[in-house]
Amino acid sequence: MRGHRLFVAALLLGTLCCGAVALASVDLSAGIRYVSPSGTLADCSAKAKAAIEAYLPGATESESGSGDWLATAQNPGTGAPSAAAAVRCYGLPKGYVATFICSVQLPVNPYGASALCLDVAHKFYGGALTPLAAMPTPTPVPSGCATTNLVGNWTSDDNPKLTFKMGLNGDLTDSDGVSGNWNIDGSKVTLTYYGNHTMTLSPDGKHLHGGGYSLTRQC
Amino acid sequence: MKTLRHRTVLLAAGLLVAVVPPLEAPAALDMALGTRKVVENQPVSACNQAARSALTSVFGGAQELGSDTGEWQAYNAGDTANGVTESAAVHCYPVGNGYVVTFTCAAQVPPVTETAAAMCTKISAAFDAKTTAMQTPATSEGGR
Repeated sequence: MRGHRLFVAALLLGTLCCGAVALASVDLSAGIRYVSPSGTLADCSAKAKAAIEAYLPGATESESGSGDWLATAQNPGTGAPSAAAAVRCYGLPKGYVATFICSVQLPVNPYGASALCLDVAHKFYGGALTPLAAMPTPTPVPSGCATTNLVGNWTSDDNPKLTFKMGLNGDLTDSDGVSGNWNIDGSKVTLTYYGNHTMTLSPDGKHLHGGGYSLTRQC
Repeated sequence: MKTLRHRTVLLAAGLLVAVVPPLEAPAALDMALGTRKVVENQPVSACNQAARSALTSVFGGAQELGSDTGEWQAYNAGDTANGVTESAAVHCYPVGNGYVVTFTCAAQVPPVTETAAAMCTKISAAFDAKTTAMQTPATSEGGR
């Protein structure tokens, strides 16, 4: 009974302290239109493709000769598209009309839909260009027996059935699914796993000793 | 000692469940260029009326961006777990004695299950239904 109370208390504590995650949201900008008194649909298309590709890679026309251009950008941080821009051209008896529509996914995208569309439109017909923030770069997963982290798979020297998977964010999970944390300061390691254990990482980054445990990293 | 370990495990498990989000596919932005229609012999005001009606039928409301621009936008309200997950724009522009209209949609997939293209098809169909209804003369029975 006490155990259940402790679990619920921890659940509430965790939710209260760390549950305020920003809501993901679609941001659409659709309010920029440009009417050119001269030029052809082909002119509009050429400018549309160039303007979009100044910010997003690989603009494509939805159908050849349609004048509808679209490009999306992959967000390396999430591995999914988070920004898109479109220019829709339509030929008039004299000149053409171009509509600019952009959408982004917030907060993972580093800039808003309006900022993107304003830049694409200004690139198209002229105007001030404001640099857009760069997409986030993915955090590389460390490999090998680095001495700056404990990321990787570890096995207990005393009990080969006991293994640990240590993650990039200082988390660890043992072979029974029990979780904990690790922290490294120089060669001194603090392992939080059924209490705190002070350990020492070997100079080759392959062995951890101390606190009642002796572990070897697979690398 | 055993009790202490048990408590530590429960504490860690509770914090883990609360803090670690469930593993799921990352939400992707899906944007679609819907159809473009050219309508002859109809004023652009008819396009505006149908655009507003079509967006409202899907999203429950729509707003014109500025005054008399022919640029209409709508989005869903979202929920406690998500912000806006679907948004669409309808653009009306006068051409000759008619108008040209385009539909553009964006969705966050997941949580949205239908594609942006499907959403645009739905809005376009609602637009057509409205314009057809507007062109059909109202029947009336009158007597002298």
